[in-house]
Amino acid sequence: MAEIRLEQVRKAYGGVVAVHGVDLTIRDGEFVVFLGPSGCGKSTTLRMIAGLEEVTSGTIRIGARDVTELEPKDRNIAMVFQNYALYPHKTIYDNLAFGLRMRKMDPAEIDVRVKKAARMLGLEDFLARKPKQLSGGQMQRVALGRALVREPDVFLLDEPLSNLDAKLRVRMREEIARLHQDVGTSMVYVTHDQVEAMTLANRIVIMRDGHVQQIGAPLEVYDRPANLFVAGFIGSPEMNLIEGRIEGADFVAGNLRVALPPGVQASGEVVLGIRPEHLALTTEADGVAFTVRVIEQLGAQTLCVGEAGGERMRILVDRVDSWSPGQSVGVRFPAAKLHLFAKSSGQRVETAKP
Amino acid sequence: MSSKATIYGFLFVGLAVTLALIVAPAVYAVSLSFYQMDSFVGAPKWVGFANYVAVLQAPEFWRALLNGAIYALGSIVFQVILGIGFALVLNEAFPGRNLVRGLSILPYLLPTVVVILTFKWMVDGGIGIVTKAVEAMGLPPINWFESPGAAMASTILVSVWMWTPFVTTCFLAALQTVPQSLYEAARVDGTTAVQRFFHITLPMLKPILTVVVLLRAIWMFNKFDVIWLLTRGGPVGATENLAILSYRHAFNLFDIGGGAAIATISFALLSVAVLIYFWVFPLEDD
Ligand SMILES: Nc1ncnc2c1ncn2[C@@H]1O[C@H](COP(=O)(O)OP(=O)(O)O)[C@@H](O)[C@H]1O
Ligand SMILES: [Mg+2]
Repeated sequence: MAEIRLEQVRKAYGGVVAVHGVDLTIRDGEFVVFLGPSGCGKSTTLRMIAGLEEVTSGTIRIGARDVTELEPKDRNIAMVFQNYALYPHKTIYDNLAFGLRMRKMDPAEIDVRVKKAARMLGLEDFLARKPKQLSGGQMQRVALGRALVREPDVFLLDEPLSNLDAKLRVRMREEIARLHQDVGTSMVYVTHDQVEAMTLANRIVIMRDGHVQQIGAPLEVYDRPANLFVAGFIGSPEMNLIEGRIEGADFVAGNLRVALPPGVQASGEVVLGIRPEHLALTTEADGVAFTVRVIEQLGAQTLCVGEAGGERMRILVDRVDSWSPGQSVGVRFPAAKLHLFAKSSGQRVETAKP
Repeated sequence: MSSKATIYGFLFVGLAVTLALIVAPAVYAVSLSFYQMDSFVGAPKWVGFANYVAVLQAPEFWRALLNGAIYALGSIVFQVILGIGFALVLNEAFPGRNLVRGLSILPYLLPTVVVILTFKWMVDGGIGIVTKAVEAMGLPPINWFESPGAAMASTILVSVWMWTPFVTTCFLAALQTVPQSLYEAARVDGTTAVQRFFHITLPMLKPILTVVVLLRAIWMFNKFDVIWLLTRGGPVGATENLAILSYRHAFNLFDIGGGAAIATISFALLSVAVLIYFWVFPLEDD
């Protein structure tokens, strides 16, 4: 078990920079998720930690060791690949045992570890089979087991659930969370799925175009996104982002005027952010008139696309059966739930002291 | 209905062509082996198994069988080893890889006659570039076609040169289907490059290896043109295989029945060998 430190880790392929200097400390036992759209450099960063990709510059430490120049096998890491990467001609038992055998471990100890991992993952009945005789979920478990038996300093997982169907994905997500609780080893997990990130992570590292956008606990990133990109990326349905300007103590966009909390240090052109679930229903007299356009019933909740003050936005409220398109309702913008971003830089402007 | 008729139509044509061009001549050839016949125009005389008895009693048959086996085995081993080696190299990323990949198939495209003539020029006792090189290195001259060992070696050498590209291409295609992540997983698991070859590459190549070895074995065992053009089976039968022996009987010794008997035995031996091969290395893995 160990802390992992990335210092100014950078990766360039020829002239193309895939990862710009990343600084990150992963605490011992922490579950860190790299989250971002496809091509943002998540896998590259993970593979540099694994040693599968050389760093262009920067330092990687695991515990007290500088592992920057070490081969993957000498870093005491274990990796789970998106396509499982099970050895197709070896039995499940041999797949699990392979890494230990290559390390010349005592066969009796190997057997103990393989059996233990198989028990934890419910693979005991499949040990004599070949990978192609297993289902996707079972193969995923074997891939996890192969990492588990190694008892590494850190688990590295690159989109491990993206080949599974939605239902299985949820179940395996829970299993990975349980596994992390049971073994307590640090995990670094790559995904483009924000729900996976929110549910699994102790901390999320949000990336875009090779740059880290924000590092924080799931609710921290949800409550206080550092910039417009994070604001739009985290949360479902997406945050409403409205371009406008500051006029006195108010935000103004077209016919829409929203009162800001006192003490906002902003002026000029800004973007106002409010999550659909934070727009509150009220009377038209009390709030702003919102014209309903499209209604999506989600079951427990109702998602509605419409307009307020000429600005398009979405609201998510407890189920309403009675709405119909064209009708007008009142919505309120709770001051504590507002996010402000400078329009020029996209950076967050603090609206309230945290 | 009409689509069914079409299928039967094609099937019938296919069967008819096969029957006319393959089965009928084969049956005819086998039947010849039971007759004594000194030309294709004379009247054949039924002799039963006499041709077989004569052939099997002649030492030249056993020598040809052994020669054929040595030639087939030798050329296959080198083709496969070199083929895997070249495929591994061509599978790596390096500048100009596509050009080299294209060029490497060239030997396979050259007509056999051209290859053999070129080789003969290269080792020509007076002007050959190989001869000159051997001379320049101060080594004794090699009698490529006069000494039995050297003659066998040159038939194998030329065959390996001609067909390694085919084997390379087969293996290269197979290598490209191996997921890169398997190698990465194995690197994390602590393997050396050599261990990765034996634990991943070779098992992944096994299905294609099985087929390639089988195909090459059949082709090499029946090889006629290369040996005939290079050595005519000489010196004194040192490179003569069953195909050449059969031809020599039928067309040089006016023993068509004997030639046919040799061809039939060769065919039978090969069939048995292929069956055993499939039994030992089933194509269906797992
Ligand atoms: N081997 C490579 N050669 C060149 N560019 C690469 C290579 N691997 C990745 N990239 C580029 O680096 C960027 C980041 O890739 P990656 O880390 O795989 O993204 P992610 O995992 O976030 O989807 C992408 O723009 C990709 O095109
Ligand atoms: Mg990726």
